[in-house]
Parts: sequence; C-alpha cells; structure tokens
Amino acid sequence: MALPTSKKQISVQKLFIFILYCFIITLFGGPVLWLISLSLRTTDQLFTNPPQLLPSPLSIEAYKYIFRGNEIIGFLLNSLKVSGATCCLSLLIGIPGAYALSRFRIRFKREIMIVILLFKMISPLIIVVPMYRYFSKIGIVGSHMSAILVYTAAQVPFIAYLLKGFFDSIPYSIEESAMMDGCSRVGSLLRIVLPISASGLFSAFIFVFLMSWSEFVIPFILLDSTKLMPLSVGIYLFQESRASVDTHIVSAITTIAIIPPIILFWFLQKYIVQVLTAGAVKE
Amino acid sequence: MAKRHKSLQEQPLLWIAPLVLLLLAFYLYPMIDVARLSFSNATLLRNPSKYGLMQYTSLFSSSDFGQMIVVTLKYVAGSLFFQVLFGLLIAVLVHEGKKRKVPGAVLTRSVVLSCWIIPAPAIGIIWKIILSEFDYGIANHLIGSFFDQHLAFLSNERLAIFSVIVANIWCGTAFSMLILYSGLQQIPESLYEAAVVDGATEFQKFRYLTLPLLRPFLFTDLSLATIYTFNSFGLIMSLTAGGPGRSTEVLAMSVYRTIFDRMNLGRGAALSMVLLVVNLVIAIVYNKSFFKKTQA
Repeated sequence: MALPTSKKQISVQKLFIFILYCFIITLFGGPVLWLISLSLRTTDQLFTNPPQLLPSPLSIEAYKYIFRGNEIIGFLLNSLKVSGATCCLSLLIGIPGAYALSRFRIRFKREIMIVILLFKMISPLIIVVPMYRYFSKIGIVGSHMSAILVYTAAQVPFIAYLLKGFFDSIPYSIEESAMMDGCSRVGSLLRIVLPISASGLFSAFIFVFLMSWSEFVIPFILLDSTKLMPLSVGIYLFQESRASVDTHIVSAITTIAIIPPIILFWFLQKYIVQVLTAGAVKE
Repeated sequence: MAKRHKSLQEQPLLWIAPLVLLLLAFYLYPMIDVARLSFSNATLLRNPSKYGLMQYTSLFSSSDFGQMIVVTLKYVAGSLFFQVLFGLLIAVLVHEGKKRKVPGAVLTRSVVLSCWIIPAPAIGIIWKIILSEFDYGIANHLIGSFFDQHLAFLSNERLAIFSVIVANIWCGTAFSMLILYSGLQQIPESLYEAAVVDGATEFQKFRYLTLPLLRPFLFTDLSLATIYTFNSFGLIMSLTAGGPGRSTEVLAMSVYRTIFDRMNLGRGAALSMVLLVVNLVIAIVYNKSFFKKTQA
C-alpha cells in the first residue's frame, strides 16, 4: 500500500519540478525570444494591440536594412578585432607571468598576488578616465590600440590568477626530469606545461573573448569616434539615435550582438563554467 | 653563449615583467592619478589649478550625494537579495531534478546561464523594449490583462529604480545559481541518506544540512555579486542612463555623469575614489583567507 503512494508522490514531485522548469525557462528565455520576435517585424507589426507573439508574416526587413549599410558590419569587425587581439595579448602576458608565480621563487611574490587579487575586482571605470587623458596626450585615442591595451589590463589579473591555478596543479617533477634531460625552461613551458593545460588555456581564451565582446565602459569612454566602436557600444549608440518606429531595427542589431556569445556559450558551456567556478570558488 | 641564454631563462623577473609593468602602467598609475585629481578643481576641459579637500567636503555635504547613496544601496540590496534567493532556488531545483531525472534540468540551467553571457548594454536594451509604454512593451500588456493598469516603468521616478533592479536580477541570477550549484554538487549524498535514516523532513534537510554546507559558497557568491552590482554600468546606461532625474543614478553612473555630463572631473574623481574604496573593501573581505594564510 505504502509503495504506490510514495511512487505517486515522487511523480507528483517530478511534475511539480517540471512545471517550475517551464516557468523559469519562460522567465529567463522569454525576453530574448521577444527581442528576436520583434526583430522579425515591419514597423506596422510593432504597434498592434494586443501584441502578436509571433508576427505573421515574418519579415526580414530589419536585417536587410542593417546589412545594406556597412555601419553594423564595421561594429562587428571592430568587436572581432579588439576581442581577438585582447585574447592573444592577455595570454601572451598572462602565461609567462602565471608560470613565474607558480614555479619561481620571486621577491614580492605575495605582494604581486595581492595586487592581482585586488585589481581583478576594480571597476575599469576608475582607470579609464585618466587613461583617456594620457591617450589624448600621446594621440592614440583615435585607434584601437588604446582600447586593446586597456582591455588587456582589465583581463590580465583574472587570467594570471586563473592560469597560476592551472599550472599549480601540474606536478613540478615532470618538468624537472625534462630539464634534467637538457630541456630549457622555455622548452619545458612550451612542450610540457602548455600542452597539459591546453583545455584550461582554451577556456581562458574563450572567457576573455566573451568578456571583451561584452565590454562597454572602456570603449565607450576611451574611443572617440563612432567608426571605431565595437558592437557593444554600437547597439547603444544606435538605440539612442532611433525613434520607437525603428524598434524592429534596434531589436535586429541587438540580436546580432547577443547571438555570437550565446552560441559560443551553448557549445562551450563546459569550458566557461570551468573558468567561472575555478575563478570564484577557492579551495 | 648557450649557458648565458639559459641563465636568462631562469630569471623570474623577465617572466613576470610584462604582467607587472602592465598592471603598474594601466592600473596603479591611473588609480594614483584619479586620487590626485580628486583633490583638485579639474574639469574635463581644464587642468587642475588648485589642490585641496574641496571636492570631498562639497561632495559629502551635498544632498545629491546622500540621495545617490540611497539609490545605490537600494539597487545593490534589491538586486542581491533576489539574485541570491532565485539563484539558490534554481540551483536546488536543477540539482534535485537532475537526481530525479526530471526532463529539462540541463536546459533550465543553460537558459538561465545564457542571460549572464549577454552584454550589459544589450540587457538594458531588451528591458527597455519590454518595459516600454508602446504596444511592443509586453510587460505592460501582461499586467494590463490582469489588472487595469498601465505603468510608466522607465519614466516614473519611483518605478525606474525598480525596473533597473529587475533587469539586473534577470541577468545576475545566473551567477548565483552557478556558484551555488557547484556548491550543491560537492555535498556528499551520504549525508542526506543519514539524515533520512534519522527521520529528517525535506525542510530540516535543507535548513540543517544544505544551508550550513553552502555557507562558503554563499559567501563567495555574495562578495562577488556585490562587487559586480556596484560596478554595473552598461545596463543602467542603456536602460535609463541614470534618469529620470537622478532616480537611477547609482555610484558608477554618478561617476560617469559627473565627469562627462556635468564636466566636473575633480568631483567625478572623488566619486571614483568612493567606488574604489567600496571595491577594495569587498575585495579584501573576500580574500581575507588568502591574507591570513600567507601571513602565517
């Protein structure tokens, strides 16, 4: 007698959890689906009362409009360029730094670690205003170089901390025996440490890419022409300059800005979650 | 020659120099410069000509500052409370559902996490559209179908702060869920089995097992989410830009508006220092175990 009731209880519980899942998915997925739905309309279809959940017929007018000019493509290319360069540069600086912190005896190691731990939590808003003043003095406000340098500075503390953790988990004895056999320090890093931590490096790369793609305050303040702006700022400027009759176009460009990170995230979730939890949860 | 080459490779300073130089040039130096500017009368167009405490004294005695602090605390407290609460609820639901093989557990987790990966300005735009008073503002349509009400979410001074908090909870919940979920996964199942043998109810299991064991994760989550919330800028910039009036002008927003809208660089730098102190205090509290460990 008791068994069927408890079985029934379990399936009621499961149903209850399932209904909550549907509710949560609607709540968190709904806004994005609404944005995409708005992007597939004409101006007239924006202003129906009650609003249609799915416009019929679907219209790609907004996307056609966007890709007719080359402004949006410019934003996209700027985003790719700045994010890509930031990934490479922050790994190029982060890898040797993290390796040294993990393997060498260094004076001020503790101080450097403290600075890294603290700096990775400071808002880039604080540093970007004086940076704007220097860069205008030396005249590189009008180039992506200034943005890439500050993006890198903003990402490097986290990357160095993360990679040090990955390197620490590799036993030093593997390297020692290789170096005994005549392998140089750089050789040992390139042939032993980096291949072993390849998945961690890949995670770090993807993570920096996503963070740079989303970066707003640095380019917004540091770059002085619309032409140089990445997509994150581009969508903001675009939205500010448009009236409500253009909401379908604003929705389309916002969709374009969020689709790449979401796709990357869905395919590489494992790696991104690894970085997030490794960076946040300390042993 | 080869020997010298090798000894260069053994120089730790060479390995770490790029990292340290970058941090000094792009973090420490600007921070010192902001501190200097905060003691000056600089504007965006004029270099400092006078130094002193005037920015701080006028800042702390102005009513705008008090109001800004109230708005900031509302924003941070409101965001954090619900973000951690929802994050915990969803983490528990996904964890329990996975154990019971309820379909949709992984999808739920992925959908919630996706919101976190969306660039902040895009989140602002999405919510600006949803909360709009035009026909495409679906929130008003949904509310209208239950109550006979039409709410000016973004142009009413009292509602705007609420709207900004909702948007921030929407994207911030993901982070809390992720941290707390990884905490739940580390609690050994045997503890729960022992509790069941002792006759514990579901609530008792949650209250006396799950919550205490999650404490370090709640701490991590709270500290990091507090910093993120204090630093959030892009979301508010695109949703309300601090308005209407100053009703959503939180600390980070205030730094920007003081420097770039009101052109007062000195005062903006003083506000930056306030933000910096907030950041540092939380960072030190969060990392205090590290400081203790290495001191010993």
